[in-house]
Amino acid sequence: MIRHLAGKVGGALVSLLFVVALGFLLFRVIPGDPVVAMTRGRPVTGDQLAELRARLGVDKPLDEQFVDYLTAALRGDFGTSYVYSRPVMELIGERMWPTILLTGTATVLAVVLGLWLGIRGAWRRGSRSDRISTGAALAQWAMPTFWLGMLLSLATGDLFPSGGMRYPDTPPDFLSQALDVAHHMVLPCLTMIAVVYAQYLLVMRSSLLEEMHADYLTTARAKGLRDDLVRRRHAVPNALLPTVTLVFLHLGLVVSGAITVETVFSWPGLGLLTYEALTGPDLPLLQGTFVVLAGAVITMNVFADLLYRVLDPRVRAS
Amino acid sequence: MTAIVWQRRRATAGATWREFASQRSGLVGLVGLAVIGVLAVLAPFVTDQSGLDVTRLTASPWEPPSSSNWLGTDHNGRSVLLLTWWGTRISLVVGLAATVLSVLIGTVVGITAAHFGGWVSAVLMRFTDFFLVLPSLVLAIALSTVLPRGLGTIVLAIGVTSWPATARLVRAQTLAVEARPFIERARALGGGHGHVIGRHVLPAVLPLVFVNTTLTVASAIVAESTLSFLGLGDPTRVSWGSLLHAANMHGAVSQRAWWFLIPPGLGVVCVVLAFTLCGRALETVLNPRLKGER
Amino acid sequence: MSLLELRDLSVHYQGARGEVTAVRSVSLALEAGRTLGLAGESGCGKSTVAMSVLRLLPRNARVEGQVLLDGEDVQTMSWGRLRAVRWAAASVVFQGAMHALNPVHRVGEQIAEPMRLHGVTGSVSELLDQVELPARAARAYPHELSGGQKQRVMIAMALACAPRLVIADEPTTALDVVVQAQVLDVLKRLVSERDIGLVMISHDLSVLASTCDRLAVMRNGEIVEEGPAREVIASPTHPHTQALAAAFPTVGDPASRHVTPADAEPSGAADRPVLLRAEGLRVDYGSTKAVAGVDLEVRAGEIVALVGQSGSGKTTLARTLLGLQRPTAGRVLFEGAELPRSASGLRAYRRQVQLVLQDPTSALNPRHSVYEAVAEGLRIHRVDGDEAERVAEALSHAELRPPELFFSSLPHELSGGQRQRVVIAGALALGPRLLIADEPVASLDASVRGEILALLLRLRRDLGLAALVITHDLGLAWTIADRVAVMYRGELVEQGTVEQVLLSPQHEYTRTLLAAVPHHGVPEPDRTGTP
Repeated sequence: MIRHLAGKVGGALVSLLFVVALGFLLFRVIPGDPVVAMTRGRPVTGDQLAELRARLGVDKPLDEQFVDYLTAALRGDFGTSYVYSRPVMELIGERMWPTILLTGTATVLAVVLGLWLGIRGAWRRGSRSDRISTGAALAQWAMPTFWLGMLLSLATGDLFPSGGMRYPDTPPDFLSQALDVAHHMVLPCLTMIAVVYAQYLLVMRSSLLEEMHADYLTTARAKGLRDDLVRRRHAVPNALLPTVTLVFLHLGLVVSGAITVETVFSWPGLGLLTYEALTGPDLPLLQGTFVVLAGAVITMNVFADLLYRVLDPRVRAS
Repeated sequence: MTAIVWQRRRATAGATWREFASQRSGLVGLVGLAVIGVLAVLAPFVTDQSGLDVTRLTASPWEPPSSSNWLGTDHNGRSVLLLTWWGTRISLVVGLAATVLSVLIGTVVGITAAHFGGWVSAVLMRFTDFFLVLPSLVLAIALSTVLPRGLGTIVLAIGVTSWPATARLVRAQTLAVEARPFIERARALGGGHGHVIGRHVLPAVLPLVFVNTTLTVASAIVAESTLSFLGLGDPTRVSWGSLLHAANMHGAVSQRAWWFLIPPGLGVVCVVLAFTLCGRALETVLNPRLKGER
Repeated sequence: MSLLELRDLSVHYQGARGEVTAVRSVSLALEAGRTLGLAGESGCGKSTVAMSVLRLLPRNARVEGQVLLDGEDVQTMSWGRLRAVRWAAASVVFQGAMHALNPVHRVGEQIAEPMRLHGVTGSVSELLDQVELPARAARAYPHELSGGQKQRVMIAMALACAPRLVIADEPTTALDVVVQAQVLDVLKRLVSERDIGLVMISHDLSVLASTCDRLAVMRNGEIVEEGPAREVIASPTHPHTQALAAAFPTVGDPASRHVTPADAEPSGAADRPVLLRAEGLRVDYGSTKAVAGVDLEVRAGEIVALVGQSGSGKTTLARTLLGLQRPTAGRVLFEGAELPRSASGLRAYRRQVQLVLQDPTSALNPRHSVYEAVAEGLRIHRVDGDEAERVAEALSHAELRPPELFFSSLPHELSGGQRQRVVIAGALALGPRLLIADEPVASLDASVRGEILALLLRLRRDLGLAALVITHDLGLAWTIADRVAVMYRGELVEQGTVEQVLLSPQHEYTRTLLAAVPHHGVPEPDRTGTP
């Protein structure tokens, strides 16, 4: 167990290092001259370019740049944002919490809704309610997140704020602030749930369907268990296992959802920051958000793996 | 002797088709795809491309639907119907091209990782797992930001970020096939790598790859629209995503210009749903494990 | 009143291609404290009968007739009554405990579950003790137990609510002979101690013979023969019963030995040239020694049986002899020359030595027609000449006649025996000198086993084909082999002619194996000699 844990954490650390290296490859090597990419379409003088190059450190040879980049990155320093003229990590630290609040709420609700509907659907497969819920899930899965967000915002009119996280004139006490944030969060959260829960529903449904013909369910029935007990005690615990892995594996989906939803609703989180960085393009900032978002997903996957070990006795022992 | 083989294949294809056709949702998807495909091909022949040119416009901006412009006009006064129609072409082309790239990489990596084993497999799988976990949209955004804007970039960005799922699937299926005793028998008969892969593994893996392809097209089209929505698409061409980008930039929501918002998004939903329905129906037919389920 | 009575029971399954009848007018009765055996091959409907007793059939099944449990018809019970009857009045020991236990619950919980449900008092550790498992086994998960242990857990679970009737559906299939004997002993003891009525279902007549008072033989959903077990086995009247009985030969019974002295010893076995020889062969997987120093010889035209339980390393040995696995140490010689290591050298070797696998269903690519399967080797080796003619010839050697009729068939359209013949034909097409057959009949129905074994003997006679037959079944070795080698934990513990090894075994392990074989009918050969 300890050895496995160490292996997993070690593997994740290697992956994180890979992500950092990939950040260098993407934003320093592929663009050729990052400064030209960043100032494309703007009038700049040669002096300004040279000054910018020196500031980003891209006037040195690539290998030297890489060493500089890596040592800085390991200290948590991803340079200075070109647009905001502030340290990238400071910006990210500020914008992280709104994203955690939004995606956390949406994911928890989507998991609960998706698993519940998935279990119901599989148990009564082919029934009317199963067909409707599966069909709706497929349709929602086919929808681009941002489009759904725009439609919701169009449909609800002035019921909910169209963007941002709080009104500037809200009283500073905790309750009013919290209510204001919640009010702002309704639409973005609904949008994310709608798109993400479909995935969980489909995964849960098909993994329960796979367990449906398992022999141990016949054993359970033969013992005289009621149908709902057979489902709750025997089928669902087994079907949950693959679902847990997939839920975490699809966290990338949540992250991409966050980028587009925050863009549509101007939710001041990492997604909006990414959007702002790519419109610049503000390469140091984009590099920072890339590393942080990818790193977060990798870390969550390690948790998923550990959780799976706790849940599945077969893996626990080996 | 080949006559027998071909007769057999025709019979199998016929049976597969009948089984596919017995699923209503799959047929609906197929018909939907056919209609959209025909519309996309016919666009240059039945519509006037000059309507896309901002300099030669007669209608005013933000016109609601009327008899002259069935779906109203955009912020420039162009017909939304015409824009959406032409947008189909780019969305489909990008979706299909990116899928071909992705499935090709995925299949080669998957089979190689499963068949040869040893450190090659270990390294490839580590590599695949790494990319599988990486949020593909973030990677695609990064790629299309640093590369010059254009169709090629967006195809590349989607293609090289969406292959790991295919690779994993193909690897799992290859491993499953190679564990079957008939592979051992083929080896005992003297068959080498080429024989085993060509005669046994590929024929067993390809149906699944095909199913996976239809599903990948669906997600590639969503990815295209997302990247274009974020303003990373080809600025010189109209796609569904770029239309929604324009709608968002120019405040279609606050203008209550529902006619500009709904058609392009509906386009994405229809195509993606059609591909998904086809893919799921095919999966039920071609994946023996799922027979009689769903 | 009978404990269990089936009156004119028929079960039909509603399928895509109309209704299929699985069970046809079966009538049976079992008194309390008695044991009834239900024999038959796969697909004969015996498991459907078992499932119908507790109404566990899938939804697409339609049942006619009556199933009376203590005089009460199961078919007309309310759901509540049915749930109360399940496990408390009658319980089931399911086939393949591997899957019949829930993998994520501890076995103790699973045993206790029906007791809690039916409000029965009792202790799990006591139940485990009765099936000879330690009390701490209750804390184990199913995957932590061996096959035999899981089957014991299933038995403990079946006894949890002290039912009067237990139905055991193939309770020992997939277990090794020695473990099978232990599990059967436990079952027999408990049934007689507790005065339980037992219905035992198996494809293996010898298993039933050693456990049951009465025996019913099923075929195609019907009972073809029924009577006291001893009588049915000693003097079967129905041809199907006879075929079943013959498929489980008794070691030592001259009637079931099919090797005639003429083809066994034409001029003394020692005169024939050695075809294949293994010298000091060792194969390690990491730290496990799968094959630990084996010396073995197969002479031209000789049939050698390699006997051992699963995990004894016999399959690894076969793969090494075929050059599919590199030995860690030692060498394999074919006609005196060491096995080549190069790919092309090995390919040439494979024209001489061919493999026949255990399960013909999975040994044939389901997408390839019979013709393609047989021609596969010819194509790999780019054999000249008329391909179709060679394929036809190989098929007729394997007794699939007329061969053209089978050319375009796909494996799933053939019976198990026919499939195995196709596999053999595929090997014969290359004109090999030696066949290595890994459990060639283990997955076949009893009645076709004899035919495939006869085919191997005939090929030896007609083509001079030598064979190394790998098996767990001593009866099979007795039926066709000239010589026997017994493998245990990677080593050959005993080697010699069939008569030497099987009638007067020298090694302890060989004796254990022989003692574990369920036997019936004929007087036992003397096995009581001390080492």
